[in-house]
Order: sequence, then structure tokens, then C-alpha cells
Amino acid sequence: MSDLNTPNLMRDIKLLIIDALGLEDISVNDIGDDQTLFGEGLGLDSVDALELGLAIQKKYGIKIDADAKDTRNHFTNVASLAAFVTAKQAA
Amino acid sequence: MNWIKLEQLLLKALPERAVTDAPALDHAHLRERALSLAAGLQARGVRRLVVHLEDAAELAIALLGAWRAGVSVLLPADLQAQTRQRWAAEVDLWLTDHPDDTHPSHFQHAPLSGAELDLDQCRLSLCTSGSSGEPKRIDKTLRQLANEVEALEQLWGADLGTACIIGSVATQHIYGLLFRVLWPLCAGRPFLRRQLAFPEDMQRASREHPAFAWVASPALLKRMGDNLDWPALSAVRRVFSSGGALPLDAAQSLQQRLQQWPTEILGSSETGGIAWRQGEQLWQPFAAVELSQDADGALLIASPYLPAGHVEHTADAARIGADGRFELLGRLDRIVKLEEKRISLPMLEQALVAHAWVAEVRLGVVQENRASLGALLVLSESGLYALREHGRRSLTETLRRHLGEHCEALALPRRWRLLRQLPLNTQGKLPQAEVEALLLAPRPKAPEVLEQVETDGEWSLQLSVPPDLAYFSGHFPKAPVLPGVVQVEWALNLGRQLLNLRGAFAGMEVLKFQQLVRPGDEIQLHLRFDPERGKLYFAYRNDTATCSSGRILLGAGDA
Repeated sequence: MSDLNTPNLMRDIKLLIIDALGLEDISVNDIGDDQTLFGEGLGLDSVDALELGLAIQKKYGIKIDADAKDTRNHFTNVASLAAFVTAKQAA
Repeated sequence: MNWIKLEQLLLKALPERAVTDAPALDHAHLRERALSLAAGLQARGVRRLVVHLEDAAELAIALLGAWRAGVSVLLPADLQAQTRQRWAAEVDLWLTDHPDDTHPSHFQHAPLSGAELDLDQCRLSLCTSGSSGEPKRIDKTLRQLANEVEALEQLWGADLGTACIIGSVATQHIYGLLFRVLWPLCAGRPFLRRQLAFPEDMQRASREHPAFAWVASPALLKRMGDNLDWPALSAVRRVFSSGGALPLDAAQSLQQRLQQWPTEILGSSETGGIAWRQGEQLWQPFAAVELSQDADGALLIASPYLPAGHVEHTADAARIGADGRFELLGRLDRIVKLEEKRISLPMLEQALVAHAWVAEVRLGVVQENRASLGALLVLSESGLYALREHGRRSLTETLRRHLGEHCEALALPRRWRLLRQLPLNTQGKLPQAEVEALLLAPRPKAPEVLEQVETDGEWSLQLSVPPDLAYFSGHFPKAPVLPGVVQVEWALNLGRQLLNLRGAFAGMEVLKFQQLVRPGDEIQLHLRFDPERGKLYFAYRNDTATCSSGRILLGAGDA
């Protein structure tokens, strides 16, 4: 996936977050690319993190490498998730 | 195994007995630190102590040290401002991870001597939400806890062997406290210090130990993906699940991946362990637990995990079979569980009603990918004003922040339905099933017709604009107004109904929009049809002025 597609990918990921987690009153425009998703920021919790992990793997047909340390750092914000998905799809 | 009774854990130093690693801690060091803490607590004259520590080994040191010093311990579920306020008057010291509190590592006193703990004098209190909404304190003696860990060892000790105990649940609650800390301490099984939140963390920790067992929750177990190395994980000695119901499909999926059914534990802070099951629908009571039922079918429990002679009255309806095993039939009160967190709906409702914007509220559970709370909300005058001025998102965010002071983020309602009034039934009640159905319903798209009268062919309707109209989110989410196109559509739909109009929409004339119509407004709609010209005249008025008016052209015939 080329860089040109990154804005679309980020938009898709935001939609996925809104749908998978049933967020009300939040639109794609309300989630910043670099906004922290968990805790402060968007205010998602650890169960959302689990749900989102499953949803991302399913939607993009990728696997989170369970043996690597700090895989959850990819879930910091939408931009880091997009980079993660791009890297995994290229691999 | 070399079992040490809970009350004898501080008697003798056993440097060969591992407790945990990262950093490594053996029994002798744990004992010395507990006895040093005991000396420090005595020196400070502490009688009652709050403990909230993430590290299971530090928690063990704090508990044993406190008990050795004759100090009773309170384990709150969190350290939120409300929690601190509630217990402040009852305790002398806060032993927590918070930088402004005291930490077990601050105690460097010369240790007290080792001694046997008094099973009936040592006390632990847990906190949970009661059905009235008030957090409830549950007091236990060391004897109750000791009885419980001994029963667990009888059942599963041999299977577990030397397995390292890896947990995804917090140790502030009875399940994590018993399974992750007290039981392994007595059994001499190593345990992990930290609670692991993600399946990947569980996998990495598991791989580091030749034998391991999981103390997990449904929240985690039902969300384990195929990215894990299941063949390697199937070495797990046992998978414990507690805190809430594990859905059958999640249990089945674990069985397929691990060739082992998870072991589910039924219990609560109040009751201690009640029963367990593994791949079965029916629950098997623990050996020493005596069950009965009241007239409503609620489970009554007597057991050595409760004070002697006490019968605990639960709010769980059950059907007990002839062989003593039983089936759970649901709760009899308004306590719900979300991802194993017990949430008192009345408590949150009280907290919401305390906000100036809220006139009335009812909460319910919305079952989707993840279950969450939803709120049916009747706004006060000031709440309606806030909605009109700043929009729905700002309103719900403000209310969520307000509630955030009273509960965990997980309990914050994710869905909000703003109503003009609560639809109480003829008994003045709103059954929970009705609350939940209303939360699942889509937001309204039509006005509420309060009154309609016809005079000489002209209709006058009194309309209420629903505060939660679906159209308010799309167009100007921060300044919700009723879109003109929706006003035309309402006039046309109501005109067709009342005047029996059939012609197809053919255009509009002299449309004027003069005043904004906003959430919660009551407005009049005047409708008149001129059959010769095929024009439907409409005008919306508020108390003082015309909001909008125009003519809708309708084609001839039966469209």
C-alpha cells in the first residue's frame, strides 16, 4: 500500500473504531490521526483495546505478532495503527 | 507440594521457596519485608489500613505484614476521589501505588518476630457495589480466606503442580486475591506480579514458564484471537474464569484450541466461592457450601467462607437439581455486570440525577459487540438549554465526565436517548426490558403530535420536536436546528394523512424560513389544501412568530 492511500486507510480505521466499539455522537472528523485512543484522549478502555485488536486483524486479514514485545504500541493512535496495517500487509 | 497454612506463612523463613520473579523474591525475603512492615505499622500506631497495590507480591507483603501487626485491611476496588472520601474517616493509612500515599517499600524497620496469625482476629474488608447503590463493605476473617484456599487446593492442587500462576484479573477483588495471591502463596507456586491485560502478554508470560495456569476473566477469554500460538498454549494446566458469565461459544472455542474446558468459578465478594463447572451447564457447589432458596427462588448460601452461622441471601435466581447441582436463572435486582465489573444502576442513576441538566434517567444494558450501558434521559430546562446551545455531543460528554467521578470508565453510558418524558406504564413503572428495548430503538425522525384540530378544512397541530431527533446530529451537530427539508417533509406527511392527499410531490413555492426550530420546541403546524391549484399550504409557528411557511405542489391522481 502506498503513502497516497494513507489518508483513506486512516479514515477506514476511524470508521472501524466507531462501528466496532459502538461510539455514539462521534464522527470520523472527531478522531484526530494522532489522538490517543485509550485512557485520556478518546477515552477507550482495555476491553475496547481487546475488541479493536480483533476487529483490525479480521478486517485487514493480518495477525498481531503475539511473541513480539509492545505490539500494543501500534494501538496508540490512528496513525500508528495505519502504519502497522500497512507494514503487515506489505509483509 | 509443600502446603503452608495461611496463618503460618510468617512462621519460618524458607529461602528455597520461590514466590515470584522480575524482580525475584523468595519466601524468606517476603517474610522479612512483611515483618518489617508490621513493625513499621505498629510504630506508627496504625489500626486500619487501605491497601491498593498492582503488584501481587507487594500486596502479599502488605496483607501479611498488616495481619502480623494486628491491623485490619480494606481493599477498595479503585482509588477514585469518591472512594477516598468514603473511607477517609475509617482508616489511618493508605498503602498504595499512588505517589502521594505510602508504599510498602517505604518501611525499613527492624522486623517483628515471626508468629502464627490469629485466624479470627485478622481481618480483611472488600468493597463492592450494593443493590441500593451505596458501595458496600464486606468483612472477612482470615479463617474464611484460609478455608477457601484449602478447598481450592483439595480440588485442583494436584493438577496444578508447580505451575506458575498467570493472571489477567486485578488482585483487589476476591477472585484475583485468592487465586493469584493467597492460594499460590500457601501452595508454594510461583505467581506473576502483574495483571496482564492482553492475550499476547499472557502468551509471552506463559512461554517463559515450563508449567503455567491462567487466572483469567471472560473479558479476556472471549477475545483471544487466532494470532496466538495455541499448540504451545495448550500446555496450560488449567484455565480459571470468574467474575461473570463466560459465553458458551467462548468456552467451546477454548476447548477446541486447548483441548481443555475452562474451569469457571461462581462466587462474589459477599459469598466467597459458591460453585464451579467445567464444560457443563450445571454448577457444582464447592464441597462445604450449603445451598437453599427463598420464596423468590434466590440462592441462599451457608459455607465456611462466610461468618459462622451466617446465611448469605443472594439476588441470583436458581434451580437446584436433585443431585445438588444447579442452574442460574438471572439476577433479581438492578445490579448488572459489564465485563465482570459489577455495576449498580441505581447508584449511577442517582449520580446522574444530581446533575442540574438531568430531570429523570433510567439506565439499561445495550448488548452489542461489547455490552455497555445506555441512558434514557429526560432533560431539565437547563439541560435542554445546553442541548440547544451546544449540541448533543457536548451534552453527553459533559454528563459522562460528571459520572466519571462516580464510576469506572467502563460503566459510562455509551448510548443516550433523550426523551420528553419516561414512558411509565399504568403502574407508574418502567420495566427493565422496556428500558432496554427503548435503548435499541433508532432515534426518532417524526414529531410527536400532541393535539390536532380541524376548523373549516384547516388543520392546526400542536407538535413537540423530539430532543433526540435523528436529524439533529447530521447537519449542525453543535447547534442543532430542525432542517428546512425535514419541516417540508413533516408537513407533507401529516398533510397526506389528515387531508387524505394522494398526489405526488411536484415542487415547492414561496418557501420562507424565518425562525429556527430547535430540540424540545413545541410548535404549531397549520395545514390547508387548495384542491383547485393542488397546493398544500403549511406554516409552522412558535408562541410569538412564524418559523416557516410555504406551499407544496402536488400532482394530480393517485401517486
